[in-house]
Amino acid sequence: MRSKIANQAKKLIDKNKLYILIASIIILGMLPVIIREDYTRSIMIKILLYVMLASSLNIINGYTGQFNIGHAGLYAIGSYTAGILVTTFGWSFWILLPVSGMVTAIFGFLISIPTRKLAGIYLALVTLGFSEIIRLICLNWTELTGGPMGIKNIPRPIFFGATIKEPIQFYYIILVLAIVTILLMYRAIHSRIGRAWISIREDQTASRFLGVNINRLKSTNFAFGAFFAGVAGCFSAYYYQFISSDMFTLDEGFNILAMVIIGGQGTLIGPIIGSVIVNMITEVFRFVSEYRLITYAVLIIIMMWVRPQGLAGASDSVFATKRRKRSRRARLHRRRLTE
Amino acid sequence: MYILEQLINGVCQGVIYALMAIGYSLIAGVTGLVTFTYGEVVMVGAFTSYYCFSLLGVSIIPAMLFGFVAAGILGIVIHKVCYERFLDSPKYISLICTIGMSMLIRNLAQIVFGTETKGMPKIFGNGFIELGLIRISYLQILILGVVIVLSLTLTFFFVKTKSGMALRSVSQDRKAAAFVGVNVRSTTLIGNSIGCGLGGIAGVLLALYYSNVSPIMGGTIGLKAFSSAVLGGLDNVAGAAGGGLLIGVCENLGIMFMSTGLRDVIAFTFLIIVLLVKPQGLFGRKGVIKL
Repeated sequence: MRSKIANQAKKLIDKNKLYILIASIIILGMLPVIIREDYTRSIMIKILLYVMLASSLNIINGYTGQFNIGHAGLYAIGSYTAGILVTTFGWSFWILLPVSGMVTAIFGFLISIPTRKLAGIYLALVTLGFSEIIRLICLNWTELTGGPMGIKNIPRPIFFGATIKEPIQFYYIILVLAIVTILLMYRAIHSRIGRAWISIREDQTASRFLGVNINRLKSTNFAFGAFFAGVAGCFSAYYYQFISSDMFTLDEGFNILAMVIIGGQGTLIGPIIGSVIVNMITEVFRFVSEYRLITYAVLIIIMMWVRPQGLAGASDSVFATKRRKRSRRARLHRRRLTE
Repeated sequence: MYILEQLINGVCQGVIYALMAIGYSLIAGVTGLVTFTYGEVVMVGAFTSYYCFSLLGVSIIPAMLFGFVAAGILGIVIHKVCYERFLDSPKYISLICTIGMSMLIRNLAQIVFGTETKGMPKIFGNGFIELGLIRISYLQILILGVVIVLSLTLTFFFVKTKSGMALRSVSQDRKAAAFVGVNVRSTTLIGNSIGCGLGGIAGVLLALYYSNVSPIMGGTIGLKAFSSAVLGGLDNVAGAAGGGLLIGVCENLGIMFMSTGLRDVIAFTFLIIVLLVKPQGLFGRKGVIKL
């Protein structure tokens, strides 16, 4: 049961959503001006990068209830597309952002076609296998991907003649990318398609009866989520100037999954919170880095025991095992009917 | 003759996978859930045998016994953390819990055992038998022998003993088993720890076969066990063993045509194709298991 104060706070937040949003965007824009150390700025860039990755996974896992645990594979495709195209053809960063997104989306679409009929664990296994196959191909196809050496010397992006090399410039790029991503996701989720996705998550059979084309929507969903993973991959290739196959291990996939699970599935704010928490843990435990993953692991288990939908997850969805009892309004309505 | 030798290597690796797949499908059967912790269980078994050989200096049979017990105890812990609360909840909750558990065990192992790869002490020399043109090493014969003896024992256990029959009944239908007086809770626990124990023995054999152990070996190994079990059919213990054998042979024949780095790609591609064509596995019955 929620307390009165929490309810009122929620009402207040709901009422002033737009102002809070604008204020937080302004604060995020001001942050690198206030914080001057490059190291802290690089952490903020990392958080925003993982906001994109975790949000794109949340679109797949949190909104249609498909179970993708090999997200690192899609991330790898985005990164390698950008890395290969820029080092061999010299394409510009601004063209490569949508291009690597599209290529990744096509791959996502291709995986989703055969897996539409597979549910739950079988889908998880296929995505896991896919992620591992992509990594091993990247590791072994030396002519194309540089093999174990990876792709080095990725040039800096150029913005109207100026080379982007300061962390603060990268910060603004990823901030804009992340905000655009979240806005696009917001639009998609509150459209007809988004409602259909949620209906698939809640009850596949029922939504089929209501005329939802499940197969098509699941594929669209997978491709839509994959697109943003690809864009994030392109950004990280330029930002780190280096990609190699050991950046995309299964652990990386589990890392992204951990953010979505800890932060919460099925809400837009969930992955953002998850990314902040997980990256903060990484920094707090930096001097004892071997305890970092232990902390994630324990957090994941505790989260499953206490609150399976995650910290800020959708409480009125299939993810929550203990759903909230009927809302107050419904209770009143029922009382009126019985009297 | 190279093909024949690769075939024997494949069979040898395949029987280890088969042992893991048997354990895996046993767990999947009694709990109705799948686990991602299995590779870590195998790793713990392998490390137990490493310390048995290097510190205690025992021979192979007690080492396998220790491996079985250590992995079985770990199985009980996993059961308490990941399954017991979630038997009636949506499946994905316990699945994520096992992912967390596997991260936990792997990283704890890196702290406790150290991150470097350790070479196993040599117990068998490099002795081998020559049969015409092919060579079979003593180690391979030992592995084959151990797995065959274990599978015979397991078959006896499942078919003839009371607790074996209880295990089978629980994996067929939990509710019906409870109606006829089987203690479902304890049977689930027993099945889970036996499955993990088998994984531990497989870990001992793997450690001997590759002659090294490392805390991060569990990742791929767990996937192999999972793939083998799904390939053969998760509901079917004998089928799972067949799946393991098949994957072992395919891998070793496949690397004749491709580089060794692509060995795991073969296994996963094979698995994905089978899943798409026949999701219940090669030997599974249709619509039995719903995960």
